[in-house]
Amino acid sequence: MSSENWVDVASVDAVPEGDTIGVSLNGQGIALYKVDGEVFATAGLCTHGAAHMCDGFLEGHEIECPLHQGRFDIRTGKALNEPLTEDIRTFAVRLDAGRVMVLAD
Amino acid sequence: MENTSEVFPSDPTWSEEGSSRVPFWAYTREDLYKRELERLFYKGHWCYVGLEVEVPEPGDFKRTVVGERSVIMTRSTDGEIHVVENVCKHRGMRFCREKHGKAKELLCPYHQWSYALNGDLQGVPFRRGVKREGKVNGGMPADFNPADHGLTKLKVARRNGVVFASFDHDVEPFEEFLGPTILSYFDRVFDGRKLVLLGYRRQRIPGNWKLMQENIKDPYHPGLLHTWFSTFGLWRADNQSELKMDAHKRHAAMISTRGQGGKVEEVVTGLDSFKETMTVNDKRLLDIVHEDWWGKPTAVMTTIFPSVIIQQQVNSVSTRHIQPNGHGSFDFVWTHFGFADDTPEMHQRRLIQANLFGPAGFVSADDGEVIEWSQEGFEQNPSQKTLVEMGGRDTEDSPHMVTETLIRGMYAYWRRVMGE
Repeated sequence: MSSENWVDVASVDAVPEGDTIGVSLNGQGIALYKVDGEVFATAGLCTHGAAHMCDGFLEGHEIECPLHQGRFDIRTGKALNEPLTEDIRTFAVRLDAGRVMVLAD
Repeated sequence: MENTSEVFPSDPTWSEEGSSRVPFWAYTREDLYKRELERLFYKGHWCYVGLEVEVPEPGDFKRTVVGERSVIMTRSTDGEIHVVENVCKHRGMRFCREKHGKAKELLCPYHQWSYALNGDLQGVPFRRGVKREGKVNGGMPADFNPADHGLTKLKVARRNGVVFASFDHDVEPFEEFLGPTILSYFDRVFDGRKLVLLGYRRQRIPGNWKLMQENIKDPYHPGLLHTWFSTFGLWRADNQSELKMDAHKRHAAMISTRGQGGKVEEVVTGLDSFKETMTVNDKRLLDIVHEDWWGKPTAVMTTIFPSVIIQQQVNSVSTRHIQPNGHGSFDFVWTHFGFADDTPEMHQRRLIQANLFGPAGFVSADDGEVIEWSQEGFEQNPSQKTLVEMGGRDTEDSPHMVTETLIRGMYAYWRRVMGE
């Protein structure tokens, strides 16, 4: 649909397997993750202490915040433990000709 | 002539039997004060922390002290009340600076160590190090276990809306600590009714903390020092009264019933007054209305050793928290409260009568002064002794108030626990 706003944020190869990087989505920082070749995207900042998620540690589909060890499921954004009280936003991702496309607002 | 070397004895001993002659050095020695903190505030005793109504919602917290140690009373999301020491396990910082607040967690600002409301350590920044160019730098050792580094947790006792805590997890149950007699006077005020917080008063009194316990174990002084009481008929030495203690003689209740009749007019005319012609301009101050829960007594002052006084003086009820800070000073924090089922008139009446109390109260202002002046007397010559012999030298309960038996009882207990 023409109203959907898919934005090219990075090359697929730039996202390391089993890890995370920070990229810009229309000037807003978001985090990309790659698990078994599949790419996921969440908001860039933790909902708790406003740390950068791309500095965190990815284990399977769980990203652990580097500041206070809060964990989110990168597929759903669900907050999995304390001190988190709020889920993190996720973005739809599409891979297109070696590029990571993220659905913006 | 006394030898000048006797003014500051180097290794004094309490030479007499009994507890009717209290050495001035019991109030002036820093080493004894530290031992009091260890043995009375941090071990074997329950200390007052606050009222549950001060932290009504999950996440609410109140900062207070047990002895000199800063603690935080919190209510966690499951509704439980916790008391934890306000010292970060990382670098020892007293991190919480607000007196009251609402929070999802307890966070030390220095390195952002994050604790749950029950004191569990839940987050350590860069615990797993910091990633840079594919390499992870730093981080805590692999054997670091957050479960070992929660805030120090105190044992908590809740009874009818009042919270006590102890650093000593082997302390006896709260009800046994009070004993049946004092527990009955505790329950007289706190009978399970929902409480309403009316407000606080705080003052720093430059005197030894024990003097405040003594003040409320001393029914000899109110009719003499507090001319406001005697002038307006609220306290007289011939009031019907009783003095009771727990089995250890550390806690006490002064129970008194003000003169017969008790009609407002009778009090205000002041026939028995210290100053007969004096009247209260604002008559609301003496608008006393009997409440059923009092039973017969019109005033019961309960000392719970070492940390708190429960006041019921006619329609004014409060807790008075003793917070020592050195051998010669303590903070005194008054929490005025009422009950959720109070009528608007009773609510107003409690607020008006609260003017008798606190640092500038018509009555209580006197106590802050005499405690300061007592401490001045002790400091100038610690070799002397007080003479606590009104009513005899015994430590028994009394059916009248012309006695200092409660003070003697407290020092008998103090000598046992302190080994002096």
